[in-house]
Amino acid sequence: MRKHRATFPPHFLIPSVLLVILTGLILASPARAEETTHYCLSCHANPELSITLPDGEILPLYISEKMLQMSVHVQVGIECSACHEDIQTYPHPEIEYDSKRSLSRAYYLTCRKCHSVNYEKTLDSMHAKAAEQGNLEAPICTDCHGAHDVQKPNQPRSLISTTCRQCHEEIYTEYKDSIHGGALIQEDNPDVPVCTDCHGVHNIQDPRTEQFRVHQPDLCAHCHANAELMSKYNLPANVYSLYKLSWHGVDVAVYKARWPTIWHDTAVCSDCHGVHNIRKTTDPASSVHSQNLLGTCQKCHPTAGPNWVGAWTGHHEVSLDRTPFVFYTRVFYSSFTPFVLWLSVLYVVLQIIRSVAQQVRRSLSK
Amino acid sequence: MITPPPPATPEQKSVSTIRALPRFTLSQRWEHTVLLISVVTLLLTGLPQKYRATAWSQQILSTPERVFTIRNIHHMAAILLTFLVLYHLFRAIYLLSRRRLPGDMLPSLQDVWDAFQMGRYLLFLSERKPKFAKYNFEQKFTYWFLFFSIGIMVATGFILWLPITATRVLPGGAIPAAKMAHSTEAIVTGIFIVIWHFYHVHFERLNLSIFTGWLNDSDTRTYHPLEYERLTGEAAEPPQTGENL
Repeated sequence: MRKHRATFPPHFLIPSVLLVILTGLILASPARAEETTHYCLSCHANPELSITLPDGEILPLYISEKMLQMSVHVQVGIECSACHEDIQTYPHPEIEYDSKRSLSRAYYLTCRKCHSVNYEKTLDSMHAKAAEQGNLEAPICTDCHGAHDVQKPNQPRSLISTTCRQCHEEIYTEYKDSIHGGALIQEDNPDVPVCTDCHGVHNIQDPRTEQFRVHQPDLCAHCHANAELMSKYNLPANVYSLYKLSWHGVDVAVYKARWPTIWHDTAVCSDCHGVHNIRKTTDPASSVHSQNLLGTCQKCHPTAGPNWVGAWTGHHEVSLDRTPFVFYTRVFYSSFTPFVLWLSVLYVVLQIIRSVAQQVRRSLSK
Repeated sequence: MITPPPPATPEQKSVSTIRALPRFTLSQRWEHTVLLISVVTLLLTGLPQKYRATAWSQQILSTPERVFTIRNIHHMAAILLTFLVLYHLFRAIYLLSRRRLPGDMLPSLQDVWDAFQMGRYLLFLSERKPKFAKYNFEQKFTYWFLFFSIGIMVATGFILWLPITATRVLPGGAIPAAKMAHSTEAIVTGIFIVIWHFYHVHFERLNLSIFTGWLNDSDTRTYHPLEYERLTGEAAEPPQTGENL
């Protein structure tokens, strides 16, 4: 057999060369970032490196290379100077910040360069309002996401709750013992709500306002009216639609539709079930467990007696075992109403026919 | 300014007197007026509360203050109706104790027979309407329907007004049942009045005797021949057609 030698025609060479150049350019950028990083680390890898700020605080200047390698930014080749825009040369310009906090609060604005949408959202948040009111400890991007060690914020999902815990320790303690928190922390459950599912992410709002309160049942309905999701946990998915028919639910619906900015005291989900400490209704520690239900009702109806809890039909359809009084009332009216009304319609229609017939007969006989 | 009447024609000069026969006492006429006022007020203030989820109700109850106002009006009308019911019951008990309670509103076997005869008449099986006494079976049905309906409305209404007090005596399940009964009964009664009562007192013939106290001679003779005979001692002509000719 004849041997064939592979030959490249000249018009094949041009794209090949271009391909090589392009690949080189793409590969070159992380390499260059690494270069810059190496350059910075030649000093900043020294654990002793630090300066004293004017307020006496010591600002460590040590950057662990190991930590840096874990950052999602470094992994995609974003270099030190992308964020440290003001430090492009050595020797560095003078640091003009009085404290570590004022330095962080100045540097975090650099996140805006790439993450402008989320940055804009934070301006509308409860945290931004706290900062406006002078609380400089109010969180900024880096407080939640980290600075040199930025990680994916939701991997694992429980990371979100531990992030919020940094400041909201008490709430975290309540949450971790709740049905939602327990499933998240112990089982890494993918469905239970974490802090951000209810409170939002970057534009976190004050949960104590009229607006938050009036929309609160919708938050729970987001999962608890989802039949597919609820069937997974053997929970009923009609709790929200039944709530909306109840005395409380109708009232809240009116406030939501007409007066969302007026405070209302009608019970929403969290008033009875709890907020961060929600438990299974069968858990003896649950605020809606049959043993604790009267006390929960008495929060709003302080003079209610033990029979009062029977007035609560729960989020259940009318049934003979659970709500016999309503059941029999409904049975009665479902036959009584059509009987009485059809009887009277029939009687009156017959009378009209008879009286018209009588008049016609009389006028004919004249 | 009063304009002088036009000159009378010969026909108008011949004066005809229409005899009217007593039908309702002053007390009964007042009771009806108070009932009318309170029931209409209760319906008008109750419906927007029942249908709070609808847009028209929210249009009327456009502020939270209006919800409280309409509820207060409803409660005031309810108190009025409750006093009326108590007056009516105590008056009946008083008259009964004096053996002076007229029994003509009590249902009797005659009413069943009358209803049967009326059914035959309406189905063209008979040419004659039954001869009715002071209250015919239609009127008795109206009275007793309202009697029990108002009983249910008053009882359930107070349960809903004072639910916590009610559960000191009643089981809790009575509260949502009362809510359903109050709301449904009101609608049934309202529609029943419009169909049944309005037809009989406005369309069949305009009958204002509950306001005036008197029913004219010919209507009494036609619609209540037995009562006519009792009051006048004269024989009412048997109604040939069932109509007032």
